[in-house]
Amino acid sequence: MSHDEKTCQELVLDCLLDFEEGTMPEADRVELQRHFEMCPPCLNFLTTYRATGRTLKMLKPREIPPALAETVIVFVRKRCKKEGG
Amino acid sequence: MDNDQAAADLELVRGIKAGEDSAFEKMVERYHARVYSLAYGVLRNPEDAEEATQDAFWTLYRKIGTFDESKKFFSWFYRVALNAAYSRARRRPSLPTTSIEDRMPRFLGDGHFAADVPDWSVAIEDEAAARELAKKAGEFIAELPPAYRDVIWMYDVEEMPSADIAETLEISIPAFKSRLHRARLYVRQRLSELQGPKPAAKPSATPAAEAAG
Repeated sequence: MSHDEKTCQELVLDCLLDFEEGTMPEADRVELQRHFEMCPPCLNFLTTYRATGRTLKMLKPREIPPALAETVIVFVRKRCKKEGG
Repeated sequence: MDNDQAAADLELVRGIKAGEDSAFEKMVERYHARVYSLAYGVLRNPEDAEEATQDAFWTLYRKIGTFDESKKFFSWFYRVALNAAYSRARRRPSLPTTSIEDRMPRFLGDGHFAADVPDWSVAIEDEAAARELAKKAGEFIAELPPAYRDVIWMYDVEEMPSADIAETLEISIPAFKSRLHRARLYVRQRLSELQGPKPAAKPSATPAAEAAG
């Protein structure tokens, strides 16, 4: 790592999100890619940051209660009647 | 959310304002799954999420007259849904909150990592182990202050577009990115700690302020 390049700290705290989201200028992306290739701790950090993202995608509730729309409509109708709406 | 969808939303909004039951029913059909999923992110319990969904649509029904048609409906309604969920969450015993700052990566003065960075990503290659980790990740998200929790749930779990999230939460894109990154760093660190000995991170002497950035 030469001094004109980013430190691991700058890379992780300031640049990693844009690197991952593809919202970074190409020249910066190439510089970071080079850093990852030469820096095992940063590469491990990137790999586990990505693994975190993949893990989070599994959290989305797969099952919406089957009659939810109907339940909501019945609920609102009842409340309306109760409150004279 | 594209213009066609926004136009379709607006048509239903006007129908509901005019007292058309069918417009309300169509709106429920259109949004119930998304509202349920958002509420689930806050409450992490199917029964509570279902009740919060009912609350959100009840508020929609009563308050639609206050919706400003020059704004986007989805962002107004997602805020209604989040409020309904947080209102239910406040009725439950609150979870202990942890400091995000204590779980941020640590660096030495020269910018290198202060501790080893193990690669535990192999742990999610096994489907069952990955599901277990995902369950834990859900608990870690729940520890986050709401400003961070909403962002990471909406983006990484719900996969909503960043512009829609920023609009819903009424924050700038830089603030959205800052919160998302810090929330991810937090969850990553908590997941790392499950994989082996805790890295030699020094707990900070004073809890850091969790300013919504």
